[in-house]
Amino acid sequence: MTDTTTAPTAGAAAPLADTGTLAERLAEVWIELEERLDRVPILQRLAEGTVTIHDYERLLFNLRQQVVDGSPWISRAASNFDIEHFTLRAAAIKHAEEEHRDYLMLERDYVAIGGSLDELRNGRKNLGSEALSGYMFHYADQPNPVGLLGAMFIIEGLGAKRAAGWAARFQEVLGLADNQVHFMQYHQEADGAHTGDLEAILTSGIIDDTAADEIVRCAQVVARLYALQLEELDR
Amino acid sequence: MGSTATAYLTGFGRYLPGDPVDNDGIVARLGGDDAVTERIRRRILDANGIRTRHYALDEHGEPTELNEELAVKALRAALHDRGIDASDLRMLACATTMGDVLVPGFASMVHGRLGGGPMQLLTASGVCASSLAALDAAASKIRLGDHPRAAVVGSELASRSLRQRRFDGIRAGMDSHFLRWMLSDGAGAVVLEFQPHPTKPSLRLDWVRHVSLAHEHEVCMRAGMEGAEPVVGHTWQDVDLADAEASGMFVIRQDVSMLDDLADAGLEQFEELVDIGLVDVTHLDHVVCHYSTNVFRDLAFEGLRRRIPTLDTDRWYSNLETRGNTGSASIFIALEEAWHEGRFAPGETVLLAVPESGRFSFAFAHLTVVAPPEQQGAST
Repeated sequence: MTDTTTAPTAGAAAPLADTGTLAERLAEVWIELEERLDRVPILQRLAEGTVTIHDYERLLFNLRQQVVDGSPWISRAASNFDIEHFTLRAAAIKHAEEEHRDYLMLERDYVAIGGSLDELRNGRKNLGSEALSGYMFHYADQPNPVGLLGAMFIIEGLGAKRAAGWAARFQEVLGLADNQVHFMQYHQEADGAHTGDLEAILTSGIIDDTAADEIVRCAQVVARLYALQLEELDR
Repeated sequence: MGSTATAYLTGFGRYLPGDPVDNDGIVARLGGDDAVTERIRRRILDANGIRTRHYALDEHGEPTELNEELAVKALRAALHDRGIDASDLRMLACATTMGDVLVPGFASMVHGRLGGGPMQLLTASGVCASSLAALDAAASKIRLGDHPRAAVVGSELASRSLRQRRFDGIRAGMDSHFLRWMLSDGAGAVVLEFQPHPTKPSLRLDWVRHVSLAHEHEVCMRAGMEGAEPVVGHTWQDVDLADAEASGMFVIRQDVSMLDDLADAGLEQFEELVDIGLVDVTHLDHVVCHYSTNVFRDLAFEGLRRRIPTLDTDRWYSNLETRGNTGSASIFIALEEAWHEGRFAPGETVLLAVPESGRFSFAFAHLTVVAPPEQQGAST
């Protein structure tokens, strides 16, 4: 496994040591993320079937504090794509619009399992969410932040490939109704569509080698910070 | 997809107003000390087997509490039993035959007195089975995942309409005496949740079934009209109140000649539960049955034993003799007492059975005792 801390920082002139197509390089990042997720305590308990309703409540609580930032950073990125990057600008605008109400679904799930909406809305980000959100806004502020396609690859990939499985497992272990896991269930469909859009962009020929390096780098950082968010629940 | 949650009964409470009143204490509260009434009362009390009951009336027959107060006290007991507050509830379903006031609905008044936060309300009005109708509605919302926690209460304050002043100058036959010396006051409540109690056993609600046969039966229990058929322009709301009172419309009556049919219909409903597989008689451990008098206890017990030869009195529960017939509250008052006596062990099943004479309704609920999650070990 690559030690990501020794890799060059995003934006620096990256040595193109990585070979392989963009898709292959992203697949490696994904595999590394999955290995890390397997060691996240709450996901281990979920897999073992020892997860509690409190775990699920805290997971929703923690995710919500970062999910509300989703559409804002995508919108910010959209505003930083110049006319040369119209396709990406358009995709980001569409994506931000599609997701800007998702946190409401999460909030309803939280209330449906007995959580207080006031407490949820007055919550703050955990250490991992702070890092993730800070990084996303910082990156979205750059001119033509093409690397964010790597962030999309991770976040939408988690939604499309993992969230519904988590939802089903939480339902199985805790006996939850669909109405209590909407947010995670919904992302299988929605993010499945988004990853389809993303793949179309990644294979459209508008990504040059420099952009590809940026995308992979951003994917690595976001993967690490997303896992950190799940590791640092309530911290 | 379409996954639902499971509803668990996690808290049980009851409230019975005042001290228990024995058979000799009834007259002071309800009146009726003339020789004829005395004779009828003794006969009815002998038949119904009730030895003590509670009235929200003082020793002079004056009301001491409102029906909504009885409901709230039972709810508070159930919440305390569960270790949560009214503010943790998202739904309140209340069953009663008659609230204290005509408007607004009973549940609104109970919620107002109970406090807590915003919540969904339901007033299930009916007679004895309305409490299981309320339970069914609340459990359905829990199963849908719409609410994490709900409370259900059955509450009755029948005594104030059983007092002598209602009977003065009115021709009162067996149809009114039967109920007058049978009904009494009380409330029973349960807390429902989508998760079992974290540290104590819970009752998983497997199903509720509520069937009306009003399409093929006349009215059996009534108030507010003359005779068994309401007539346009002639209900208590149409005629002068003084006329309504004089004609005995405010006396609650029961056509006792229909009660054998009611018992037969109830047993048929039970047979149907067995027939369609909702009840597996080889795995039915306890029956908590509401009935108005011990005459029907024997009928029901023998009827069930035909299908469940192993059913003995240890597995059959009623507290009619000591708590009285409290209508819609009865089934929860009985369940609460059976539960807190520790009659049920994890893994065992419980059938609640409530026949309602009103116009032939029958409600059943099937429960399974589950150990707290920490004692079940990890799910697989």
